[in-house]
Amino acid sequence: MSRSILRTVAIPLVAVVLGLLIGAVLILSQNASPSTAYTALLVGGLGDADAVLRTLQKATPLIFGGLAVAFAFKAGMFNIGGQGQLLIGAVFAAGVGFGIDGLPMVIHLPLALLAGAIGGAIWGGLAGTLKATTGAHEVIVTIMLNFVAGNLTDWLSANPWKDNSGNNIVARTPLVEDSATIPTLGAVPVGFLLAVAAAATCWLVLERTTYGFEVRSVGHNRNAARYSGIKVGWIMGSTMAVAGMLAALGGAVESLGVDGRFEAGVNVGLGFEGITIALLARANPLGVIPAALLVGLMEAGASRMQFKAGVAPELIDVIQALILFFVAAPIIIRWLLRMREDTSEQLQLGAGWGKS
Amino acid sequence: MHPSNESSDSSSEAFKTALGSGPVIVSGGDEASTMKDVNMAPMWRRLLALLMVFGLVAAACGSDGGGKISGGYSIGLVTDTGKVDDKSFNQSAWEGAQTGAANIPASATATYIETEESKDYANNIQLFVDDGAKIIVTVGFGLGEATIEAAQANPDVMFIGVDQWQNEALPNLAGLMFPEAKAGFMAGALAGMLTETNIVGAVLGTDLVPPVVFFKEGWENGARYTNPDVETISTYHPGGLDVAFGDPEWGATTARQALDQGADIIFGAGGATGNGALIEVAGEAGALCVGVDSDQWFTVPEAHPCLVTSAMKLIDVGVAELIAQAHAGTMEGGNYFGEVGLAPHHDFDGIVTSEMRDTLAAVMAGLDDGSINPMP
Amino acid sequence: MGQVMKPQQRQLLYAGLTVMLVVIWIFYSANGPQTTAVLAGTVRAATLLALGAMCGMIGERSGVVNIGIEGQFLLSAFAAFTIASMTGSLFMGTVAGIGMGLMMGWLLAAMAVGLKVDQIIAGTVLNIAALGLTSFFYDRSRSLGMGKYTNIDLGPLADIPLVGTVFFSRPPLTYLTMALLVVVHVALFRSVWGMRTRAIGEHPGAADTVGIDVLRLRYLNVTLAGGLAGLGGAYLALEAVGTFSRAMSGGRGFLALAVMIFGRRTPFGAYAAALFFGFTTALQNQFQLNNTFDIPPQFVGMLPFVVTIVVVALSGLVGSMRDPAALGQNYEKG
Repeated sequence: MSRSILRTVAIPLVAVVLGLLIGAVLILSQNASPSTAYTALLVGGLGDADAVLRTLQKATPLIFGGLAVAFAFKAGMFNIGGQGQLLIGAVFAAGVGFGIDGLPMVIHLPLALLAGAIGGAIWGGLAGTLKATTGAHEVIVTIMLNFVAGNLTDWLSANPWKDNSGNNIVARTPLVEDSATIPTLGAVPVGFLLAVAAAATCWLVLERTTYGFEVRSVGHNRNAARYSGIKVGWIMGSTMAVAGMLAALGGAVESLGVDGRFEAGVNVGLGFEGITIALLARANPLGVIPAALLVGLMEAGASRMQFKAGVAPELIDVIQALILFFVAAPIIIRWLLRMREDTSEQLQLGAGWGKS
Repeated sequence: MHPSNESSDSSSEAFKTALGSGPVIVSGGDEASTMKDVNMAPMWRRLLALLMVFGLVAAACGSDGGGKISGGYSIGLVTDTGKVDDKSFNQSAWEGAQTGAANIPASATATYIETEESKDYANNIQLFVDDGAKIIVTVGFGLGEATIEAAQANPDVMFIGVDQWQNEALPNLAGLMFPEAKAGFMAGALAGMLTETNIVGAVLGTDLVPPVVFFKEGWENGARYTNPDVETISTYHPGGLDVAFGDPEWGATTARQALDQGADIIFGAGGATGNGALIEVAGEAGALCVGVDSDQWFTVPEAHPCLVTSAMKLIDVGVAELIAQAHAGTMEGGNYFGEVGLAPHHDFDGIVTSEMRDTLAAVMAGLDDGSINPMP
Repeated sequence: MGQVMKPQQRQLLYAGLTVMLVVIWIFYSANGPQTTAVLAGTVRAATLLALGAMCGMIGERSGVVNIGIEGQFLLSAFAAFTIASMTGSLFMGTVAGIGMGLMMGWLLAAMAVGLKVDQIIAGTVLNIAALGLTSFFYDRSRSLGMGKYTNIDLGPLADIPLVGTVFFSRPPLTYLTMALLVVVHVALFRSVWGMRTRAIGEHPGAADTVGIDVLRLRYLNVTLAGGLAGLGGAYLALEAVGTFSRAMSGGRGFLALAVMIFGRRTPFGAYAAALFFGFTTALQNQFQLNNTFDIPPQFVGMLPFVVTIVVVALSGLVGSMRDPAALGQNYEKG
């Protein structure tokens, strides 16, 4: 047993070490000190309660975004639309969060989350439904919907839902009511707990329910699933709706728990990072959690790294790419460690692409 | 995950393991049992060796540096989501901070943090506070709230907020504001006089950022002020805030579209997007371009063949001046208005006639005394 | 297969083209300069998308998904710009851009074909790494003193009203792209290489049994296709813009994917899709320039994306777009 645990952690562990090693070379090339840089990175992400809070806050939308990609993968679809779904979730949650007052928290907060979730479900479901009914490729549609969502949410926050208090000139909504604000328990944001719960739920649904079985069957072989009586169109539409909902919840938590409002431009790229997370986790809903924590830690510590060591924060992008590469190409690490070949580790998400 | 053995019985242990495997590898049951300890030993050893190499490298490299030297008079600058070499306002503010530090008689140091995500504004300011910075410059209206909060929490630290309007004055926070419409108006006035086709174009960042809107309105009104027959064609980047200032390809293509329909002077205002427009105009014989924020002669050398002037906000001057005041203890809280104006004409000095210069001087005077309103 | 059209589809296509020409003629008579400007902008915006789409389609035709085009554009643009500014030669810069594209193509092949890394992961690695590396090593002191590529008039052709400006007064890499469209079309559908390429994308097992080295051909194709994306990067830095700035590819690598699928993985189809997309972009600019509609730019800016979704959905109803059968699956020699 301990052997298999060792084998389970060995590859990601070594991948991280190799990523950091190569990163150290880059740091040296900039005449900076790797140990100072990495110490700062670690302290910035884990050094005190505030740092831990930031790491968990950053990991939260990554978990949701990773799930949004992983869930769609299970049905053989590639959801590139996490960014748009996240924005829609963020703006609608904020809309309900500031637009209604006088409700108790037990109603208001779930309502705001629900508004975001529904927005995302529609945004994702649209792509799935179009795919199921007209054959429009979900990759095209979700890319286009990202752009549309960006413009739509920018406009909402700059016009009808704009914060007109003071002399505000920023494109942003008013602050959400306290009754719609997601609280923080010490260093642990409740939004993070929601994300962990969502990951566990996804795992349960996919592995332990008939619906999950149908999703996976469609992912394996669409035609075989159809012959066995599964409503493939419904599965594709609903899977993308669930995926959209997950990404949107990430956005909703940002608005209600981190930013306190929706502001144009503050969620840049968050949804795209879900792809990296899902891939690091090899599309496993539970694996999404450690993957998001790792990336969240690096992002939380990046500012401190630049401050203490003068290393540009983009370094963490390069390290992420390296880690992803080493995790995905275990053959290199196996060779380094002289580990045995293991056929169960070879994963093919890309196969989901070519099933229309 | 796509287990290749779809046909296998879903209730079998192996299948469950494959589907439920953690982030990486869970070896199949058979294989784990056949694995020999002999295999494990080298793996352990190699893993350890790798970790040790990593530690050694880190330690070896660590001896040469030790982070920033705290203590002394330090000035911190937090950028908006952008870099200190953005050839635009972050860069201008950083240059001002460096000048400000150099002007302080006792040795002062200036350092910066480049914000990657706007959610980090408060944290990045706090890093400087914790480090004992005496003056903290924050760049861009996006940092407005975070700066106010930090200023309230740290009354001993002086804050300078570039492009941040202060509703209520805090004694230790100066908002450095610029009347962008005036700068745009001056540039437009010159363009109105220089255009031969009577069409002037503007390629802009996004209307979500108020300074961009002020530049545009001022530009159009200025052009009409000196040339009532002028046609102004302007367009904002159609995308979101995330790409509006970083899309030189769109800027260039759009500038070309404006040139193709007769515009002969183009105002590029919007970070890299606007710079793309300037460079495109540079490739068109006879066409002129106008830069923004700083004298873009120095930031976009590719635009030399067309750059007739730039509508400047003297952010560097304003920041340096406020740093001097803050150091001397004379800085007052509230709003501080920086200078705007036109950059030199450089290679095009010859085409700006003395009548034009007189008109510009009169316009400047009118703007200053309020007889001309740049944004009616 | 994409290149085969049903008679109804062909008639629909001709009808559409006729309508289009009539509309263009009406607009041209009404306002020549603006019509020319919009159509010139259309062709210009299409070039980069067409190059990215060709890169993607050669990979996909051979069974390898490439979502790393965005990263290939960006890093190649960086290489092209850096070398051009160092040597003072746009040509050397272009060569460097293509070289970087080939290297990244090779890297993608090494991961996806050699190491059997999941193809989506391999592409994502390229994207993140390119974004990080170019930002990390960006040097603002560099510039292109000699300016970017300028238009070359093709003799009397360039003097034809409208068509001359739109097609025959273009910078060199645009002409090269148009030529490459023809080359890639012929190569994919008329050559032995093309036949083999399509075979390994559809039935790698069968191709193997008739003696085609599947892995080797995929390696070769993905690497060569990277050269097209590399040319795209060079085009971006040295012809379209004339400088480098961070993240300047701005999502166009992903748009190129959409264009490729929309164009049914054929060069001409992709070019038509790219022109369509370029047209909607130029059109929304023109709406803003003319103040045609008094609506916020955010809504005008949605036009290209909304129209694309509608058209993709409609064309999906007309004829399904089938992916190559073995797309995304790494091939294991049996």
